[in-house]
This record gives sequence, structure tokens and C-alpha cells, in this order.
Amino acid sequence: MASTLAVPILRQADILIVTLQGDLGDAEWAKLTDDLLDRVAERRTRFAVLDLSVVDVLDSFACRTIVGLTNMVALRGPTMIVAGIRPSVAFAMVQLGATLPGVATALDLDHALSLMTHG
Amino acid sequence: MSTQSAAAATALAAIPESYLRLFWKVYEESYDDVSARATEELLVLPEFAVLAHQVTGEQSAVRQEATRLMLGQAVDTGSWEAYAEDLVAQGDLYGEMGLSFVSWFRAVSVVRNIILPHLVTAYGESTEDLVGAVLGMDAFFDVAMATIGNAYLLKKEATIKVQQDAIRELSTPVLPLREGMLILPVVGVVDSHRAHQLTQGLLEAIRRDRATVAVVDITGVPSVDSKVANHFIQTVEAAKLMGTTVILTGLSPAIAKAVVTLGVDLTKLNTVGDLRGGVEEAERLLGYRVSQIEV
Repeated sequence: MASTLAVPILRQADILIVTLQGDLGDAEWAKLTDDLLDRVAERRTRFAVLDLSVVDVLDSFACRTIVGLTNMVALRGPTMIVAGIRPSVAFAMVQLGATLPGVATALDLDHALSLMTHG
Repeated sequence: MSTQSAAAATALAAIPESYLRLFWKVYEESYDDVSARATEELLVLPEFAVLAHQVTGEQSAVRQEATRLMLGQAVDTGSWEAYAEDLVAQGDLYGEMGLSFVSWFRAVSVVRNIILPHLVTAYGESTEDLVGAVLGMDAFFDVAMATIGNAYLLKKEATIKVQQDAIRELSTPVLPLREGMLILPVVGVVDSHRAHQLTQGLLEAIRRDRATVAVVDITGVPSVDSKVANHFIQTVEAAKLMGTTVILTGLSPAIAKAVVTLGVDLTKLNTVGDLRGGVEEAERLLGYRVSQIEV
């Protein structure tokens, strides 16, 4: 791939919000990992939300990346929550044995934000 | 025009015309006699006796005459589309009425035996003509029976499919109990197909109702095999990926044994003894406190 599109990372107070706009390739996942790890150090980030509500496919590489990313973000301080995995995607993932061990999950962005405020 | 009747029309058109004409000449002449005797023979069967009460003699006479005209036209012109559609409609009707296989077979074949003596009378002098007429009759009834039989079976299959779907839907309700809480009571034997459907229904309902806790009660499930046990585990994991906790309740002794014997990883399962306990646990997770008011 000639160029990798940057995934926008939005900030709302002490929360970073990453909404994927579609399926990412391997290079794009790598770039997102770098970008997010850079950004979590800014200001006093407490949470990061990875919104996957428009993602149709998560392959094993993507799953491993998400687990890795969650742990890396945690090492730098904030807690990461994965939100909005679709029913079909969730079922396909467990059939492939690709679960997200140790990753906090939420129904959607709204649910993720309420988890942050209410624990 | 359906593919069924199109295939029948093609098969009928493929019968050698000379044979068919020999057969039809006699059948047409003896048509009313054949119909009357066929009706008489069929009325002996209880299933047809019941049907005969629903149709007046006049109605069946009209219908017989219409069929005769249709057949005559088809033999003359060689285009069988209308007659083929009529055959399919007959099969549909038999299937719909719930006629038994033996009875419909009898209904279609009885005419053949009645015509045969007529053919012998007409062509007894000429072996060649007689053989031709019999071949024409056999070919004609083979196609007719195959067509009606096929339509009959398709109709029955369609009925069974509708019933199966209805049973499945009835047996897998996902019920919202409180804001953010779903209950899925599973009753009856669960095979892989049904397990798959349960999972799909639950995951869709979680999405639709934004449920964060789901209680799956399997008190009514007598036993599970390893495939289905794994399927339940997968359901729990898939729900977890979506951000929902699944509480499994009502595991029977047999299922508890099976799950452990199968070596299923129990750490992934959140189980509570009975449905009441499961609902209480779900309420706790959601922050509800239910208390009895003093009376």
C-alpha cells in the first residue's frame, strides 16, 4: 500500500476516542498503534475508547493488535475500552478462537462513556 | 409459469404423437365412463369419502369437463403448458389437503386400470395399435404421476418448513426483563442448528435492546453434547466481546457432569444455580435493589 490513511483520534476532556471508519489493513493497524500510544501521553488521559461499530471483519491479526494495544495503553496509564463490536463480528471472532482476553468491552460509545463515569 | 410445470410440459410434449393420439382417441370416447368409475372406486377410500362431501356432483362434473377439453386441446396442438399447470395445481391441492401418500397414488393410478380394457376393446384387432396406445398411456401417466407427486411432496415440504420455523421461533424468545437486562429461557433439546439460532437471536437482541446483562436459563434442557456445550461457551464469549455479561442458570446435574467431563473452561462461565438467583445477580450487576415493601 502506497500510503496509509490516518485514523482520527478525538479528545473529549481526559478521554481519547478512536472511531474506525471501516476495515483496517495491517499497516493501518500499526500506524494507529503508534499514533494512539503517542497521544495517550498528552494531557492527563484516563481512558481510551476504540469504537468498532462500523467494522465488518476483524481477523486474527487485528484481534492480536487490539489485545496488544490495550496492554500497551495500560502500561502508559489509561484504561482502554473496546466498544460496538457487532453481533456477526463477535460470533465470527469466537468461532475463530479470536477473543480479546483482558480487554474491557462495551455495547457502544455511550455505554463505554457510562462505564468510565460509573466504574 | 413455474419450473415444475415447464418441466412437465416438456416431458409431455416429448411423448411420440402417434402413440398419444391412439391413446387419447379411446380415452376421449370413454371419458365420462372412466371418470364415473374412477370416482366410484375412490369413494371406497375413507379419505376420499370425506372429500366427496365437500364437493357437489355438479362441481366435479364441471371440473371433469374442463380437464377433458384441456387434454383434447393439448393433444391436438402439442402445447402442454396449461395441462401441466393443472397437474401441478392438483399436486399442490393433494398436499394441502393432507392426503396420505397411498391415497394420492391411488387417485392418480386408478384411471389407468379402468382405461386398459377400453384400449383392448378398441385395438384388439391390431397388436401394433394396441401396443402404441398402451405405450402412449404409460408415458402419459408416468409424467402425470411424477408431476403431481413432485408438486405434492414440495407442498408437504413447504408445510413442514413453515411449521419448523414456527416451532423454532416459539421456542427461542429473548425477553427484556428490565432496562439493560435480557432473559433467554431455553426449553427442549438443543441441537447445533438451534444452538446457532439461539446465539444469533441473543446477540441481535443484545444489540437491539442495549442489554448489558443477559440471563440464559437452561433448566428445560435435558442434555447437551460437546458441540452444543461449546456453542454455549462461544455465545458467552461473543456476548462478552459486545460488552455484555451472560449469566447461565439452571444447569442440570447431567449437564454439569457433561461440561466438566468435556473439559470445558469453566472460568469463562458465570453460572448461578437457578433462574431466581441469576436474575438477582443480574440486578446486582446493573445496580438494582429490589426490596419488599412492608404490608
